[in-house]
Amino acid sequence: MLSLLLTAATLAPIPALGAEDTTQTSWNIHAERVYTGTGEVLKNALIAVEDGKIASIRPGRSAPEGAIQAKAITAGMIDLSVRVHGGFRSVEQAREIQPHLSVEPAIDLYDPAWKRLAASGITTALLSPMDRNVIGGHAVVLKTAGPEELAARKVTTPRPILRGAIGSEPSSGNHPAFGTPTDFYSRRPTTRMGVEWEWRKAFFDAVNAGGDESRDFPGAEELRSCLRGERLLIIQAWATQDIRTAIYLKEEMAREGFGNLDLVIDAAAEAWREPDFLTRNKTTIILPPFPAGGRTTDGAFLAWNRTAELAGMGVRMCLSSHGASNATEKLERQGAYARRAGLTFDQTLAAVTTNPAAVLGLSDQLGTVEVGRDADLVLWSGTPFEASSRVVGVLVAGELARDPR
Amino acid sequence: MKTPLLLLPLLAVTVGLAEADDKYAIKAGTVLTMAGDPITNGVIVIEGGRITAIGSADEVKIPWDAAVLDASDLTAAPGFVEAYTSSGMDRPNENVELAPYLNIRDSIDPVSFYFEDSLRAGVTTLNVQQGAACVIGGMGMVVQPFGLTVEEMLVRPNSGLIMSAAPKSGKSRATQAQALREAFGDLRRHLEQLVQEKRDGNDRARREALYQGRDLSGERGLGRAMVSDAWTVEGLELVPRGEIDEKMEPLLDVVEGTTDVYFYCGSPVDVHQALAIARDNGFLASTTLVLDASCWKAADLIKEAGVQVVLDPALTRTERDPRTGEEDEVFIPGVFAEKGITFALSSRNTTNESMWFQVATCIANGMSVEDAWAAATTSPAAMLGLDGRVGSLRKGADGDVVLYSGDPLSISSHVEFVVLDGKLVYDRSKDIRTKHLLEGIQPEGGSADEASDEGDK
Repeated sequence: MLSLLLTAATLAPIPALGAEDTTQTSWNIHAERVYTGTGEVLKNALIAVEDGKIASIRPGRSAPEGAIQAKAITAGMIDLSVRVHGGFRSVEQAREIQPHLSVEPAIDLYDPAWKRLAASGITTALLSPMDRNVIGGHAVVLKTAGPEELAARKVTTPRPILRGAIGSEPSSGNHPAFGTPTDFYSRRPTTRMGVEWEWRKAFFDAVNAGGDESRDFPGAEELRSCLRGERLLIIQAWATQDIRTAIYLKEEMAREGFGNLDLVIDAAAEAWREPDFLTRNKTTIILPPFPAGGRTTDGAFLAWNRTAELAGMGVRMCLSSHGASNATEKLERQGAYARRAGLTFDQTLAAVTTNPAAVLGLSDQLGTVEVGRDADLVLWSGTPFEASSRVVGVLVAGELARDPR
Repeated sequence: MKTPLLLLPLLAVTVGLAEADDKYAIKAGTVLTMAGDPITNGVIVIEGGRITAIGSADEVKIPWDAAVLDASDLTAAPGFVEAYTSSGMDRPNENVELAPYLNIRDSIDPVSFYFEDSLRAGVTTLNVQQGAACVIGGMGMVVQPFGLTVEEMLVRPNSGLIMSAAPKSGKSRATQAQALREAFGDLRRHLEQLVQEKRDGNDRARREALYQGRDLSGERGLGRAMVSDAWTVEGLELVPRGEIDEKMEPLLDVVEGTTDVYFYCGSPVDVHQALAIARDNGFLASTTLVLDASCWKAADLIKEAGVQVVLDPALTRTERDPRTGEEDEVFIPGVFAEKGITFALSSRNTTNESMWFQVATCIANGMSVEDAWAAATTSPAAMLGLDGRVGSLRKGADGDVVLYSGDPLSISSHVEFVVLDGKLVYDRSKDIRTKHLLEGIQPEGGSADEASDEGDK
């Protein structure tokens, strides 16, 4: 590691600085402390960014003239539960089970929310469909800044990511049809039980259709590939009974010999109530934004200080802002709340950088400040995740999305 | 029958912890005084509710008969001061639009969770005012967040009247402004009528006052010439003050500058109205503006008027250019600090908007540590006329001390103890509701829900 640093240091030329060119992707950045995310804290480090990648990191340097300066630097934050799309007009609602669709065409890259997300320190986001149907389709990973075209912003993951929900949300708009259906939402499921049934039916149908072409349906192959572990499955489940349902689904599939679902539970507010459900299956969770009074969606209750206990038990967790960019809810604040809830600094940093990078299968590219990684960097005014410091600068793939100067 | 379980946490706080000792001493690892440098290994001695000595352990001797709180590993700081809140009441808004004759003491709810939360957040002094959904509302009072009756909570009565330049529901800005001006017009007409009646030898007002049982003895039986920077009614010395309509008199006190005014502004345009009305009726000098986050745009006007302000709990505001879609984020306290306007922060007691968090946010946005602390302690204390009594730890100040597990502004610090007037009133280790909220631990004997289930059987 050290030798790599030194080699890079000798080779890296100091990039020239353009004055106001926002598309510039080469910079010299100096910070009193660089929290690399590998357990190291480098003091007075000079980071050279070239063509959107980290070219060199040299600790123990003073800031050269023209360098961007910050008190502290961490890797760019990754939020795995973000929605920036046109709502019901853009995200398909026609079916309960639609694993063959993707949220990609619904994403609006001109939405001002992108600038807010990038400015708040989120450099990579997993864009998810709405959770109004049971299996809403595929989520996609995007950089939060860059040109307004999907090809330039999309980050390819080793495995596609399918997304669905358990709880009251997928059935919340539906109502039973008494006699003649009156509208689009005169349909099942109308309850939690119905949602659970949809999940199990979908997987059983997909497995049965595997041996019988006449029973095939759109999305069946995607579900079978989930069972083969070729796709990541993220299920939103706030309340403890919904987290159970998700875990039982995974265990049932394994018991039936159908396959092994690689499961991540999003918005797992009540994960603290029954942590053994998570540890026995090594399930990763994404926490929702910490609620001021503890109460969240679906009647779930998040007891802040139990978060540390979960982390201590080895549950891999990620934090999420759910895309919020207002001062009190954004992801840097979620990090601060996690610290208040008892997480150590390293656990907190991991929960917004290396853990979500690992979930996406992109640990080699994102989540740490190391030579060769994407130049996704967050510049802080002081110690990260403290109430008295904040994000002052952000680089997304070398592009200065928030200028600290 | 079981005790209603919801009351248990409160009882634990009130009965279990209050101590009647007259002399109380606190040993703290660090003391932040807001009146000079921090003290290491400090001692605070409180006698009869007031601080009688404060300094390092070498300088200050603890009286032999004082109860001692040994908090040598904790940090002591003055409690935060809320210059304006409309929480903690039975109902925050009175339906009558002109009600300057009402008093908040009739509405404050001592067992409101709001006050409990205030203790948890280290807020020890609060100016409770009626909500701003009014034209001219009732009289507020300054309280501390502890006590079973309003009298026990009292710090300073009659802190000021609330007025609102933002339209009450059902009104437009025009009718709101008209109603405000009309109130003072009515006052003037009423006073002129009283003077005229006196000159005509008509004793209707006196008979009415006697019929209503009003006090006409002493000062109340005497007339006094009207004193005001704006307008006066000639001959008011002929009218005994006790004969003035009780519903009108609080406004006369406003015009004479003896009652403070908290003027709520919901938008920058309201600031113009509020300042104009205050100027025209002679109470600009006794006015504090209570501002919505949008009002930073009127900062120049506020600076020119020389009034002090209470800021909205939202410290940043994002505005979007409707044409380009570009967004601009403004850090509001920074605008007021730059112009040299005296401001107080305010909060909502939640983690992300508690006073300590507001102060920390100001520091994160580049304000100096001293200025940020002042905006939540000494500045609001001065606004409430309690300078030297609350907001700083010094000899002669109220014995209100908050003890934190570490640096009060650190994200992982908590309020461990609160001492009010030399009495321990909050101990985090005995705070059942915090355990419930943060640790997910149910109070012993089951939850409130379970108790009500039993009631059904």
